[in-house]
Amino acid sequence: MTEPRNPGMSSIPQAAPVHTDSTSPAVEMDPVEYTLRKRLPRKLPKRRNDVYVNMKTDFRAQLARCQKLLEGGGHREICVHGLGLAINRAINIALQLQASSQGVLQLAANTSTVELVDDLEPEDPDEAGEPMTRTRNNSAIHIKVFYPDPQ
Amino acid sequence: MFTGCGVVSGQNQYFNRPHPGLEVNRPIQMENGVTSGTCSVYQDQTHSNAGQPAVVHSVSTPLTPLPVPPPALKLGQEGFKKVCRTEEDSPCPFPGLASGVLEMRVKEGSKIRNLMGFAMARMQGEKSVTGGGVSGGGLRQVVFTGSGRAVTKTITCAEIMKRKVGSLHQLTKLRYKVVKEVWESAEGGTSEMTVHRTVPSISILLSKDPLDPQEPGYQPPETLSALWEEKEGVESSSQTACKRSLGPLPYSSFPHSKRVCLGEGVSVHPPH
Repeated sequence: MTEPRNPGMSSIPQAAPVHTDSTSPAVEMDPVEYTLRKRLPRKLPKRRNDVYVNMKTDFRAQLARCQKLLEGGGHREICVHGLGLAINRAINIALQLQASSQGVLQLAANTSTVELVDDLEPEDPDEAGEPMTRTRNNSAIHIKVFYPDPQ
Repeated sequence: MFTGCGVVSGQNQYFNRPHPGLEVNRPIQMENGVTSGTCSVYQDQTHSNAGQPAVVHSVSTPLTPLPVPPPALKLGQEGFKKVCRTEEDSPCPFPGLASGVLEMRVKEGSKIRNLMGFAMARMQGEKSVTGGGVSGGGLRQVVFTGSGRAVTKTITCAEIMKRKVGSLHQLTKLRYKVVKEVWESAEGGTSEMTVHRTVPSISILLSKDPLDPQEPGYQPPETLSALWEEKEGVESSSQTACKRSLGPLPYSSFPHSKRVCLGEGVSVHPPH
């Protein structure tokens, strides 16, 4: 299914189980003739205390970054975001932060749905295929890790 | 009273078995547990294979503990096979929750259409429900719980329900859940090993009635897409920015996710 020409796209089947749904105008699409390109998720808020967790960076590096923000960076709260497969890792980071603070830190998790856009590009431009886009939804989590107000 | 119990337990019997495609990873995770010191090894315990463990679930609804058949026995890479897997008891994440609330336990093999078909019917109350909620309008509250690889699916279920039902108050709780696994040596079967693993788990309470907004993890209704914008005003740049694409995308492809996940398992220590 995934073309050997696109080794970077070999992860497409992995993302499939987490789709919430997909409004696909191209159900009849022949998968051989199209290349599936995934766009970036839409631009997200990026403050100094926002941490976007991904699956490429080493887990310990991301955990250390969060710890540095909370301890050295002087932030009372940080926001850890994870999308799709990275939800698990975002939760893990948040729980690790909480555990290493001896329970001082609190967690407040919110969930949301993020709309993602895929581009379908025809492999052979001479043939009749037209570029298409498909939107699908993926789940995301946003965990506020914070020191509760001393009141 | 608890008609949900029957359906969920039926899923349990199937879904507590390890997913065949994922089985290869489990011995490695166990090994990670050994190296990080989160497990304890007991030799020559007289744990009988036939003794069926009861899975004790987290939310303290008066559901009876469900007997679970021993998981499908597979030979591990170290010559060990997993005999049983028990989720340890943990207190209800939502104190003060009325008993009899529908609890959907999402496993990694659960089908979303099955979960949602059941949960939506109960929440919308199309068929006359036998009890547990306000008559006519269906149930008032539902809890989705899942751990490990099922966390994403759990969130997806909650998100779908929020979109379909609408005006639901949400409360999300995260914690570690301790899972006890008993592994038995393949040759001889005399030595056994008990592994305590901690897996992240999520519990999402969806309620038609208002919840305490001061509680950490509370989400008011209809924050489906507003969540991003309310944090910072970047709406104007967002439209053009999402047109940019291609290249190594932070969220889009995870070719090495399996291996990275295992590395993650090493650094997970029990919170206590």
